[in-house]
Amino acid sequence: MEENPDASEADAASAVPSQPRIGRLLAAPPQLRVGRLLGAPSQPRIGRLLAAPSQPRIVRLLGAASSHPHTTSRGPRSGVLIRGVGQPEGRSRASWCFSWPPAFLAIGFCLLAADGLLADGLQRVRGAGKLVYGSDMEGGGPYAYPDPDSPRAVTGFEVELMERIGRELGVATEFSQGQWDKLLQILDSGRVDVVVNGYEWTENRARNYAATRPYYIFQFQLMVPRGSSVRSWSDLKRPRPDGGRWTVAVLVGSAADEYAEREGGSEVQVVRFDGATDAMLAVQNGQYDATLQDLPAARFYRERFPGLEVVGPPESEGYYVMYTRSEDTSLRDALDAALQRLIARGELQRLYEKYGIWTDPQHQLGDFTGPLQVVSGRPMIHGWELLRRYQDRLLDAAFVTVALSFGSMPLAMALGLLVAIGRLYGPTPLRVVLAGYVELIRGTPLMLQLFVLFYLLKLPPWVAGIGGLAINYSAYEAEIYRAGLQAIPSGQMEAAMALGMSRSLALRRVIIPQATRIVIPPVTNDFIALFKDTSVCSVITLVELTKQYSILANSTGGAIEFALAAAVLYMMMSVPLSWFSRWSERHLSGGGSKGGAVL
Amino acid sequence: MIEVNRLVKWHGVHEILRGIDLRVEKGEVATIIGPSGSGKSTLLRCLNGLETFQGGSVTIDGLRIEAAVRTSDRVSIRRQVCQRVGMVFQDFNLFPHRTVLENVLEGPVYVLGQNREQAEQQARRLLERVGLSSRIHAYPRQISGGQQQRVAIARALAMEPRVILFDEPTSALDPRMTAEVLAVMSDLANDGLTMVVVTHAMQFARRIAHMVHVMADGRLIESGPPSQIFEAPAEEATRHLLSEGLAA
Repeated sequence: MEENPDASEADAASAVPSQPRIGRLLAAPPQLRVGRLLGAPSQPRIGRLLAAPSQPRIVRLLGAASSHPHTTSRGPRSGVLIRGVGQPEGRSRASWCFSWPPAFLAIGFCLLAADGLLADGLQRVRGAGKLVYGSDMEGGGPYAYPDPDSPRAVTGFEVELMERIGRELGVATEFSQGQWDKLLQILDSGRVDVVVNGYEWTENRARNYAATRPYYIFQFQLMVPRGSSVRSWSDLKRPRPDGGRWTVAVLVGSAADEYAEREGGSEVQVVRFDGATDAMLAVQNGQYDATLQDLPAARFYRERFPGLEVVGPPESEGYYVMYTRSEDTSLRDALDAALQRLIARGELQRLYEKYGIWTDPQHQLGDFTGPLQVVSGRPMIHGWELLRRYQDRLLDAAFVTVALSFGSMPLAMALGLLVAIGRLYGPTPLRVVLAGYVELIRGTPLMLQLFVLFYLLKLPPWVAGIGGLAINYSAYEAEIYRAGLQAIPSGQMEAAMALGMSRSLALRRVIIPQATRIVIPPVTNDFIALFKDTSVCSVITLVELTKQYSILANSTGGAIEFALAAAVLYMMMSVPLSWFSRWSERHLSGGGSKGGAVL
Repeated sequence: MIEVNRLVKWHGVHEILRGIDLRVEKGEVATIIGPSGSGKSTLLRCLNGLETFQGGSVTIDGLRIEAAVRTSDRVSIRRQVCQRVGMVFQDFNLFPHRTVLENVLEGPVYVLGQNREQAEQQARRLLERVGLSSRIHAYPRQISGGQQQRVAIARALAMEPRVILFDEPTSALDPRMTAEVLAVMSDLANDGLTMVVVTHAMQFARRIAHMVHVMADGRLIESGPPSQIFEAPAEEATRHLLSEGLAA
């Protein structure tokens, strides 16, 4: 333990190690608060506005504040790696194109200044006596996953690696669960000290965070349904026998995603899943041709998915590294030193062999003398330029959202109406069945319904998505329609009957048109809700607006730009619906020129 | 035209109609009077199948509805009956989402399947007859209660019914509007339309009815021409009812 004038301060902060003092005062990590104030993910860009060379202290702070996952590298993991020690430079301080109200500036300034009171990273960790690392159990084995022998605990090669590193540093380690693609934002927020979860080294991340030396050299492994004609990645370069494109399932936003997109060319259609095992399940089901996985995952799950086989040699090469906040270089250096000792003693090899993931390339791990380096880089782009570059992706995703909504809502309304009529006018057994239907559908989450349609019934994603949304919302619409139908005075049905109408004609001509008018506001409300619920369809590989936002925000770092763009797109789609609702209420209320719209 | 035999209607444990016998001849205007709750409206609604009943039968224009028929048969008989028997309600029950003209067209076009143009000519004639030709494109909520009731009469007439049942057609109207509606009804009576009218409007009953039927407590206690009922009622209940009615 080194002594240091700041040590007492670090001790004082030890009660809440992962949160700086200001965080305690404000009951939330400071950077997170900035994010909330801006109504956007917790990536404070405000710092940029404060950049002023005359204030060296602030400038140093800005490094912390502006750290976020700039991974423009959907592109190649280009040859910009140098093995050596040093700090990334060339962080862009381009002035920010949005201007925020001064109040926000002031708040941001205070929070950033408070950030500066943070003790040096390593001291902070030592003072707290524990190292908190961010990881996601949903990513699954062998990285970090619920321990089968003790399901409330977590295990995995990264968990065990961190335990060993903790011993090297003389601190305890604590696993902190977070959504995989949000881990770097969680790191920004100060709730964890380091991110360790199969995060590959990329130029953009290294530019904004302090990356450690590699702790694993990963490769991609192709998995196909047993007996498939595809025997290697190169087979996918040949045209598919039926003339279509090969479908390759990947974990969304992963290096394999990037690789498949880049290397797959025109013959390959990349299908993105939220979980590695979801992709394997869908391929085992025969829904897609192959899945490209990081080798550790492929090895770990080989036995869990007997319908899959591992084919071809491992592809490509990349590095798993840990990321700390860029100002925590002392922590990063300590982690590097600990890794070096584990590698030198052969402990790392023994650990990896235990998990069956030691491969030949791992012998190179010892060759690194420090973190990978960024030599140069394309300048970061921001604001309109960023949006312009990715506008096609955003518009495609908006189209998916629109298509899902407009495909499913009319079905949901029609189905809901039939259910409501059945419940009100049908024979008793039908009423009981329909009441059960409504309770079942309302009582279970949309996501599970989509899983059933997609993974169990093996419907294509679009069919499962539109069908799932339609079924889910039909239960809600049914109740709305039931209320609307019951609100029509009984004299209306009698008058229709007295004219000699059958019950169905009376419903069609008299009751339903009047009920429709009553239900327009709540149904429009549901339509707008459904618009946003389409985002759940990302679990069955449909990349709609929210998912696309998440992908772009993570891969480019343009969280605010894309959040605003996505919000504007959602508004552009939902506001006209509200207008339509108001217009149709007026139009149908009997004051207009024509009545009689049946649904 | 209408023949009711031993009609019995229970509603839960309450016997609403206790064996009604009633005849209405073709071209006859029959009024049913009686205190509230005596079963007048229920009787009327049994005539066109809006209410089911537990005993006896109703024969209307040759169609016989019995208490003990299968549901499917009753539904089909009811529809046939309703196509021949018009009904005008106390609360008008116009279709609020359709214009005056569309209300009148609804039956002929969608139930009888008439050609829309012909039906519309007929509807315009009927609306002229009830004095509403200037408001045919108005919606029900835009016209007065008396006008709405006259539209309801036109709507019933458009089906070219053999009989029209009126269920307290003026109870929801003020005196001026009542007069408008009664004028239309008198006009129809003079044209020889068969009508069964449940009403509290004693003067009207006296003036246009051929037969007056008095109901009390689920029974038909007295029937006869208006001169007999109004001038020499046989029953004490009738005298009581008339004195109340005249006082009102």
